[in-house]
Amino acid sequence: MTHGIIEIGPYQLLLALVFVLAAGGASLYHGLGLEKDLLVGTIRTFAQLFLLGYVLKFVFRLDSVWLVLAVFLFMIVFAVRIIRSRIKEKQVSFFWPMLVSMTISYALVAFLITGVVIGANPWWKPQYFIPLAGMLIGNSMNAVAISLDRLLGELKKRRQEVEMMLCLGADYREASKDMVKNAMRAGMIPSINSMMAVGVVFIPGMMTGQILAGADPLIAIRYQILVMVMLVGSTAILSFLGVRIVCRLCFGPAQELLLRPEKNSRNR
Amino acid sequence: MDNNNILDFKDVTFAFEGKTPLFKGLSLSILKGAFYLVQGPSGAGKTTFLRLINRLEEPISGEIRFRDKPFESYSPPILRRSLLYIQQTPTMVDGSVEENLLLPFSFKKNLHLARPHREKLNNLLRDVFLHDVEMNDHAMNLSVGQIQRLCLIRGLLLSPEILLLDEPTSALDRKSAQAVMTLIERLNLESGLTILVVTHKTYGQGRVKPRYLRVGEGRIEESS
Repeated sequence: MTHGIIEIGPYQLLLALVFVLAAGGASLYHGLGLEKDLLVGTIRTFAQLFLLGYVLKFVFRLDSVWLVLAVFLFMIVFAVRIIRSRIKEKQVSFFWPMLVSMTISYALVAFLITGVVIGANPWWKPQYFIPLAGMLIGNSMNAVAISLDRLLGELKKRRQEVEMMLCLGADYREASKDMVKNAMRAGMIPSINSMMAVGVVFIPGMMTGQILAGADPLIAIRYQILVMVMLVGSTAILSFLGVRIVCRLCFGPAQELLLRPEKNSRNR
Repeated sequence: MDNNNILDFKDVTFAFEGKTPLFKGLSLSILKGAFYLVQGPSGAGKTTFLRLINRLEEPISGEIRFRDKPFESYSPPILRRSLLYIQQTPTMVDGSVEENLLLPFSFKKNLHLARPHREKLNNLLRDVFLHDVEMNDHAMNLSVGQIQRLCLIRGLLLSPEILLLDEPTSALDRKSAQAVMTLIERLNLESGLTILVVTHKTYGQGRVKPRYLRVGEGRIEESS
């Protein structure tokens, strides 16, 4: 759609690289050692977004429910992989349980938003379903990663306390209640904070995009409100589900804590 | 099995992930009402032995039976409450002494148990020379030695069938350590409580004739 929008040509894109060069220069000057990461990051940004542009163009043109669902699943698989890589603790493997629970909950929220609230017809209309699902997955992925990292870190750090409660007859839920609560709070806080700051401290990306594309700001804000509410809801659901599932995986069949200290420093 | 046995290990093998087995084909019985001292060099597996009894660790093969029934036939929280393990590092939650002592009674599986009165709690505190500790004191402000004794009392309030103590006097001065050992002996003699104590200390002239479990080289052997 080029209506009301100034097109960015290849030379303008290259011109924007001046900012990356400035960042690289600063890194060199201060000896930060980030030049390689900056270069890789810039190349990946260009490559991934160009690829995405062509894929979206293809998907929109084909207008097939299966293709939309395949893209949706692909995004979730990558989100779980990113979550896995961001969590320092590697003793608990949660890829499959998280993939299943994330797929079910994202599908539910995305369907509710596009099919029921927006009323897109059909509910999987790619122009609505894919960008909204992408935002949903991208944002709650961060929340889930924060929550899980916090949960695993606390369970390991407070192992003595957890085991003390288990020894006194607590089940695994009671023994890990405090850690679960802290993990969920940690995951929820960023999206609540952004609800507080939206429109005052920053203008969100989606709304900016719509306005740049020529949409009426009053329509753009409605979409943005919808997105913010959807994000808080899905973040809460996903943090809750993820933390519960992973917490169970941290305990064995006898509800014994499986997470070990880093080194075998424990008494035997 | 012998009716006097409260616990039976049958061909139990245990290993930490990726390590050589700490115990291999372990078979032994614990007599009901007996008083055991578990001894052996550091790293031999004394703590792990107690943790296996409490199901904080799971064997890779073999079977452990409690009252002639496999461990798996008990709900883990109830089993742990009956085979009570008190950790070497005494641990309290952020709260008062009373809140800490009554903590186990807030757990679902313990809700039906009678909560002890203050008087009983105060008597127990006196038994282990904690005269200067008040119920409203903040548990985190107490010394390690005081917390160690509070942990013992907290465990006893659950009326376990076996008491598993991991170095229960390690942070105590001689007088307090003696008070704790006297209490443990009394529980064994008067209430018939089965007790296993991991300790490096030599057992002096106690009222109980202990049995010894020597842990080392992947085995546990009983000796007198």
